Amino acid sequence: MTEPLSILALNHYLLLSAVLFVIGFIGFLTRRNLIIMFLCTELMFQAAAIAMIAFGAYHGNVQGQVFLIFILTIAAAEAALALALVVMLYRRRPTLDAEKWSELKG
Amino acid sequence: MISAAGAQLVLLSSLASASDAAAVRLNVPVEWIVFAPLLAALLCGILALRTGDARARYSGAICVAGIGLAFLTSVAIAASVGYGFAHETVFEWIRFDRLRADFAFFLDPLTSIMLLVVTGIGTLVAVYASEYMRGDRGYARFFAFVSLFIVAMTTLVLADNLILMYLGWEGVGLCSYLLIGFYYEKPAAVAAAKKAFIVNRIGDLGFALGICLTYLQFGSVEFAVIFEQVEALRTSGAEIPTAIEAIPFLLMLGAFGKSAQLPLYVWLPDAMEGPTPVSALIHAATMVTAGVYLIARTLPLFLLSEYALPTVAWVGCLTAVFAATIGMAQYDIKRIFAYSTVSQLGYMFMGLGVLSSVGATFHLFTHAFFKAALFLGCGAVMHGFAGQLDLRRLSGLGRVPGWQIVTGSMLVACLALAGFPLTSGFFSKDMILAEAFVTAGPGYRAIGWIGLLTAGLTAYYTFRVFFRVFLGPVHFTAGEEHHGGHGHHFHPHAPGAAINVVLIVLGAGAIFAGWAGVGGGHHGWFGSMVHHSTAAYEAPAGAAHGGFFSNPHQWMMLASSVVGLLGIGVAAYLHLYNRAAAERLRRSILPVAVLAGHKWCVDEGYDLLVRRPLRFIGHVCYSLGDTLIINGLVALGGAVPRLIGAAVRPMQNGRLQGYGLGMAGGLATVIIIVWVML
Amino acid sequence: MLLTLLLIPILTAFAVILRPARQAALIATIGSTAAFAWSMLVWRAFDFGDSAAMQVTASWTWIEPLGLRLSLGVDSIALLLVMLTAALTPLAILGSWTAITQRVREFYLWMLILEAAMLGVFVARDLLVFYIAFEFTLIPMYFLIAVYGSTNRARASIVFFLYTFTGSILTLVGLLYVAWAHWDQYGRWTFDIAALTATAASMSAAQQAWVLLALCCGFAVKVPLFPVHTWLPLAHTEAPTAGSVILAAVLLKLGTYGLYRFAMPMCPAAFHEYAPLIAVLCIVGIIYGALVCWVQRDMKRLIAYSSVSHLGFCVLGLAAINAAGVGGSVMYMINHGLSTGALFLCVGMVYERFHTRSLDELGGLARRMPVWTAFTIFFVLSSVGLPGLNGFVGEFLTFFGAFTSGQPVQGLPTGGPLGPWYGAIAATGMILAAIYLLYFAGHLVFGAYHLPDTSHAGHDDHAHVRLPRDLCMREIAVLAPLALLCFWLGVQPGAILSRIEQPVSEIVTHVNAAADRSMLITAIDESEDR
Repeated sequence: MTEPLSILALNHYLLLSAVLFVIGFIGFLTRRNLIIMFLCTELMFQAAAIAMIAFGAYHGNVQGQVFLIFILTIAAAEAALALALVVMLYRRRPTLDAEKWSELKG
Repeated sequence: MISAAGAQLVLLSSLASASDAAAVRLNVPVEWIVFAPLLAALLCGILALRTGDARARYSGAICVAGIGLAFLTSVAIAASVGYGFAHETVFEWIRFDRLRADFAFFLDPLTSIMLLVVTGIGTLVAVYASEYMRGDRGYARFFAFVSLFIVAMTTLVLADNLILMYLGWEGVGLCSYLLIGFYYEKPAAVAAAKKAFIVNRIGDLGFALGICLTYLQFGSVEFAVIFEQVEALRTSGAEIPTAIEAIPFLLMLGAFGKSAQLPLYVWLPDAMEGPTPVSALIHAATMVTAGVYLIARTLPLFLLSEYALPTVAWVGCLTAVFAATIGMAQYDIKRIFAYSTVSQLGYMFMGLGVLSSVGATFHLFTHAFFKAALFLGCGAVMHGFAGQLDLRRLSGLGRVPGWQIVTGSMLVACLALAGFPLTSGFFSKDMILAEAFVTAGPGYRAIGWIGLLTAGLTAYYTFRVFFRVFLGPVHFTAGEEHHGGHGHHFHPHAPGAAINVVLIVLGAGAIFAGWAGVGGGHHGWFGSMVHHSTAAYEAPAGAAHGGFFSNPHQWMMLASSVVGLLGIGVAAYLHLYNRAAAERLRRSILPVAVLAGHKWCVDEGYDLLVRRPLRFIGHVCYSLGDTLIINGLVALGGAVPRLIGAAVRPMQNGRLQGYGLGMAGGLATVIIIVWVML
Repeated sequence: MLLTLLLIPILTAFAVILRPARQAALIATIGSTAAFAWSMLVWRAFDFGDSAAMQVTASWTWIEPLGLRLSLGVDSIALLLVMLTAALTPLAILGSWTAITQRVREFYLWMLILEAAMLGVFVARDLLVFYIAFEFTLIPMYFLIAVYGSTNRARASIVFFLYTFTGSILTLVGLLYVAWAHWDQYGRWTFDIAALTATAASMSAAQQAWVLLALCCGFAVKVPLFPVHTWLPLAHTEAPTAGSVILAAVLLKLGTYGLYRFAMPMCPAAFHEYAPLIAVLCIVGIIYGALVCWVQRDMKRLIAYSSVSHLGFCVLGLAAINAAGVGGSVMYMINHGLSTGALFLCVGMVYERFHTRSLDELGGLARRMPVWTAFTIFFVLSSVGLPGLNGFVGEFLTFFGAFTSGQPVQGLPTGGPLGPWYGAIAATGMILAAIYLLYFAGHLVFGAYHLPDTSHAGHDDHAHVRLPRDLCMREIAVLAPLALLCFWLGVQPGAILSRIEQPVSEIVTHVNAAADRSMLITAIDESEDR
């Protein structure tokens, strides 16, 4: 295990994480293409992951990394599932506009 | 004078512990009394279930063999027990905590008498039925039920504890149910069977509660233990707790249900829907006397209460006269004898109530013979005349060829029922009535007079049947079961050998059974038997002779002979010499006759006061309670989340961005709250 | 050993879905019979000399920090219920060979899963294992009703699920409160039932009362006690025969078993205090259920309401808190399972032939179906409580218990909060039972022979298997063991009674002693206040 992170370095990482998260969030709210929206959620995921790993490094334990691995795994599974769904939707009706699919509210 | 409360209980002190040296060691396998008929019941039952099995015709023989074996064992047991007592455990039944109720037998002379009656009459009836029931589709089924009945009845009689007795008690009720409903395609039979079972259950409730209370007071349900404690309680002279005094009243309720006494007698007349051999065996000779047996067996408990036995006496007395009045107005000969059974059972309770347990059990014994003979005679008529039982449509059968034996045995049995001098009913009835006059108790003198009046009524209605059906001009019409069609002349079908032999045996019994008790009181064979059982009590010496004449029994024999002959004479005039006069008499008292013919409308009253209200409550509970109120509340509970859901549903419009904004808003709110709080 | 018992039905369930549909019934029957055989081995292994103790135990760590363990074990009462479950499931499965014609594999799958869940309830020694199994019984039952039920099945299954689920959530709250109290006191988590029982029993009477209320919410719905019984008639009426059998025979016993295993030992003082209230509910249920039975025209609903009435007796026995009452109640659980289960089978056999449950449309079956009639009358009599058959012993002991509860026997005081009046009024249920069951028998079995109009009955059963008019050998094989058992237990009730005497007397002493203690504490408090 290397040296723990200093508070200053931690702040940088957290800033990066916050920026990524906000970009992802704004993207999610403003774009209408399902794939783009999906990529934006992935961005938010990674923001959270960076925050995790930064805190892990700051506290000098491995739990942050454990969470990272969890997040990566779940994100991969989720990506596969979500993209499959998008393909299914596209086959049914050739549009990827989220507005057009609002009847899926159930 | 003997006072009810002052009578002293005679209990063999050694009776309490079964293992005592005084107990008789039985060298006969007593359990065969129960197991032999059980085996017969199983065999017949299997045959009954195998439709089309030709071997079903042997079931009559199987049943006769099973019950006959039980009878032989009973004879051996009676000889072996003698005036002593015995105890035999067959297997452990219910043992839990401090409660003990084994499948165990308690034998004393009272048990012996009952066993002989039950298995003896049972054998005769089975022989009779093997001819009577021939050709019926349910031949094997019938004998399965009859054997099962004997199993239950002997268990009842032999039981050494109240719970096992309850088993037999319910068992005979079940067999009665099955046999009354034997012709299950007749709605009347099904209804009658149901009625019998349910009315009996009301009585059984009293019995069951009585068992519980007995356990609470004496810590046991075994007769030996209970009687020992009763004896201790009496000798200690301590005040008797009210709860103990309540026990006989609860047991009484059971007895009144089973033995068809007021107010639970209504099932017995309807029970005549069953096959006639069953009416003779169950509803005349044996099962219905179980109530008398119960009280005789637990007499020590009844003696503890000041009011128990007078209540029994009064209920018996009122039932006797009430049923006799109904019997006078019926036309169906089987029903007449059914009411007569109710009436005679009333006599037995009267006997128990006026402290003549000898008289009561003796009447039980003689009644079994002559009433079985009467019913089986009716059965022969019914069998021969295709189900005809209306005494207006039968006349002069005595002169039809082949019917002499039936007529003869009917005459003998009618004489016994009417209390004609020197027949068996004469001795037993007198014993009860005389005792009513000499025993001191609330209104016992009145009971005696009412009993005497009822004896006259009994003689009248009995001979009304005899004179109408067996004497007079010969004419008859066939009953509903005759399918010969119009134009064909109907030939009555005379009874065969089996029926005739049984009738001869029972007719002989109806005359000679009375001699078993000659000597009266505690003398004679019968008296000594009862005297050595738990139904024994001892009158204070020298008090028995003080009433009317120097010997009340002799006086009573005279009085009841006169009353009986009077009844027979009236019947002879109205129903033999001048039948038109009977019709005129009937018309002059028409409302009374019609009302009595409708059994004083007791059934309708029960229907209106008990059955309908209960069913109405059932309907209310179901449609109002369950369907409306409870389900309504449940639906209301279910509606709350549904309403909340309806209120917030518009928020979910399907736009992903909207959801995202919502999430962001929520997150922001949380952050702001945390910020402010910190 | 117990884990194997649970695994046998689960593995059979897998086998059922892996094999072709036409083998499903056979595999399920064999598998559930094997489970029964295994339960016999458990019975052999059980030492009845020490029947109050948990035996045949096994324990594995599950989630260490929370103190969760997969621990199994049975006392003699739980063992009896295990035997009941294991014995009835094969019979119910054997009884549905011809009744189920569609989605066959799924049916047997759910039956086997249900068996495993029910067994899990009885063998659990850990609270969460118990609760999971307890709730898991709902899922297979839900599908059995919703997929294989009759016309109104959708509503019935939802009502069944929500009713019982709402109740048991409250039970969970109560159980978790006890677990939390234990953590509060000892600083570590555990879900061991014995440990939690000890903790709960030492709580104050007021706390116990709340826990009792929470537990009763779930268990009373399951039993079901008046007035939360209305799900039962609906579920029973709509469920397929096998579902009704299991529902009546075992699922209802989960409620009474819960009361015996949790409510009584965990909140003894409160249970003693509120027992009269519970008893009153039972008595109302006994009479109410019986009267409602009497006006039913639907034979399955009639028997369902009779369960409401009968289970009233069962809980009344528990509320009596004396040996006779509690022992009678346990006996009643077994007997009711056998006789009512058998009655549902009998009724199901008629339904399978004539496709109606209405008593108006059927009558006089005795003439054409003598064997069926013999069985039906037999089980009706067992249900009525005829002495000599099994029903009597339980019924008599429960009302005998209620009658003698709290009364001195020969001057010696005995425990229990009830009295003669409770017993006397409950006993009127015996009369009413005779009335409605004979009404049932009188309409269905006796009377003139008549069947529903067959002109339109023909075409709604496409895949219908032809059955003989009277019972076939398979159906006799289903009913005969039950009949033998009913008879044997009626003549030799000692086979059960002697084996449950120890746990029963233990719990009775426990509850009564706790009640005495609580009363003493109250008295001391009062005197200190003064």
